[in-house]
Amino acid sequence: MSMHTLLRYEWGVMTPEFIIIGTALILSLVDLLMPDDKDRRPLAWIAFVGVAIAFVATIGLIPAETTSILHDTFRLDAFGKAFKLLLLAGGALSLLLAFDYRPKEGLKHRGEFSYLMLCALLGAMIVTSSGDLITLFVGLELLSISSYILVGLRKTSVQANEAALKYVINGGISTAMTLFGMSYIFGLTGTTNIKEIAVEAQKLTDGEYQYILALAFLLLFVGLAFKISTVPFHMWTPDVYQGAPTPVTAFLSVVSKTAGFAIVLRLLITIFAAAPARGKDTSSMLLSMQDYIAFLAGATMIVGNIVALKQRSMKRLLAYSSIAHAGYVLVGFAAMSWVMIDSIWFYLLAYLLMNFGAFAILQRMSDEADSDDISRFAGLYQRSPLLAVAMGVFLLSLAGIPGTAGFIAKWNIFLGALMTEPGHYVLAAVMIATTVISYVYYFGIFVQIFFRPAAETSSLRLPIGLTLIVVVCALGTLLFGVVPGLAYHFLGQFEHFGDFLQ
Amino acid sequence: MSGEYLAFLALALVAIIGGVLMLNLSKVVHMVIALVFTFISIAGLYVLLSAEFVAAVQVLIYSGAITIIMLFGIMLTRHREEDKEKTTTGGFWRKALTAISVFAFGAAVYLGVYQLDFGENAARLHEKNAEQIGTALYSHYIIPFEIISVILLVALVGAIILAKKDDGEAQKK
Repeated sequence: MSMHTLLRYEWGVMTPEFIIIGTALILSLVDLLMPDDKDRRPLAWIAFVGVAIAFVATIGLIPAETTSILHDTFRLDAFGKAFKLLLLAGGALSLLLAFDYRPKEGLKHRGEFSYLMLCALLGAMIVTSSGDLITLFVGLELLSISSYILVGLRKTSVQANEAALKYVINGGISTAMTLFGMSYIFGLTGTTNIKEIAVEAQKLTDGEYQYILALAFLLLFVGLAFKISTVPFHMWTPDVYQGAPTPVTAFLSVVSKTAGFAIVLRLLITIFAAAPARGKDTSSMLLSMQDYIAFLAGATMIVGNIVALKQRSMKRLLAYSSIAHAGYVLVGFAAMSWVMIDSIWFYLLAYLLMNFGAFAILQRMSDEADSDDISRFAGLYQRSPLLAVAMGVFLLSLAGIPGTAGFIAKWNIFLGALMTEPGHYVLAAVMIATTVISYVYYFGIFVQIFFRPAAETSSLRLPIGLTLIVVVCALGTLLFGVVPGLAYHFLGQFEHFGDFLQ
Repeated sequence: MSGEYLAFLALALVAIIGGVLMLNLSKVVHMVIALVFTFISIAGLYVLLSAEFVAAVQVLIYSGAITIIMLFGIMLTRHREEDKEKTTTGGFWRKALTAISVFAFGAAVYLGVYQLDFGENAARLHEKNAEQIGTALYSHYIIPFEIISVILLVALVGAIILAKKDDGEAQKK
């Protein structure tokens, strides 16, 4: 291929990716040339600025038409733009968290911390905007491998070592399953381009081929369940979240999960939506598999919420709560209403805001004493009323109380489950029941914050980065809770992601 | 029963036995050798599929580079030869459940592929396959190729910072 052909493509649509990778490279060089005794915390600010510029560049790309580079190995469509905005916002917030991360034992390798996070973010962005199995898989691996290292960065901590090892082994198994599923899909269709796969899959009318395709569907879904930490692959979540440094935990629970949902939606909808099947709907394998997805969604909600009840460690509690939230989002997918992608996007936005807020405050409280026990929050209201109120807002949003973004998000998923024909009443009922269960542990934290006496009486000061996160997240949570129309107006310009399949 | 089928049976059997032995042997060097058997028989399977280039890469990278690195790793780290009794976690039911699910999965896949017929093999795969792979890699798949270089960078950085002794730790020794 000559230079001329190569330059013919519109590489401009990859600007956000180029900015991220450029920042990562600059940071690695700066880190290398800096004297050893210099403090490397400012590097996180450079990374933050890079991500912010990439965010602006992505917003600038919103009017751009659907563009495909090199046979869809990179494609920019409405779906990619919308999810990339979420990922970049999440990445920027994790870098702010990393800037103010001061664990008791200190953190070496702050430089690497920043640019590994940028590489992970790059992987996540690639996952949202590609139409080729190979690129999708490579992006997913970039995200995974960077996160394995980030989890293990606290080398002196036993918990972190255990977490990193568990994460690598579980991740390896899930990658193998995903790849096994992909290999069957490639074998049946003979191409890696997912649009061509969809065309080929429609021609598979023979029962034998459909059996293999269904097997591939299940393998793919179970393998990808690792990234979104839903039931068959959720066991790693609490240990890894507890052992990892808090900014990495926040990154995993929001950015990694958003990327996971992006790849699940794109692969499963594009490939299987029109593939014939033998199940209850002969025209669409995705619809025939609906019951399995619904079952996993239900199991995820139940397991996540029930086990969260007896957690004392805040990080483990938030880990189980994140499993439960993945279950709610999966309800949106299982229902397969026409507002599916919109409501999932809004849910992930609300989840990003409330989760980052909660993690910022948790980081401040646990760094202080090197413990993340729930009793650390006792008497927070007396020590710092504003912080207590902010934490209250995040908890209300996580629980899904009206007036917060979490409520609107849950409400939309709930309506989506009922608006289809026939409605998913059982799933909706399970969702309500588990939400009620979740009140118990969220309000347990409430009681600690507002009604228990404080162990220490010293007032709390929040560093600048954390203050920024808490303010932005609290305002966002309330804003989208009161005027959700803002986000839906923004989504309106994507027209329900119609260019997804074209 | 054609010669190709016999070769496939032999290679597949060696590959699986190598994998099982690798899990069951107790000495690390023996494990590595079991692994080499698996790698080489997989390379043989690639030759049967007329993917000679991939087979050569498999031998070079897996049986060559990776095995050597593993041996270096064994050489440079301490190994106490302990004849401890094998302890595994989990009770009888857990093991039984795992075994049942593994066999169920195997049976499900076997049922699917046993009678499967993909029709004619693609005829032109074996012609200049190194050139075909090269052309595809550096034109069609240039974007994933470049992302893989980022993965390599990440893996290198990660390997160094995770394995390097910290200054304080090194001075103590």
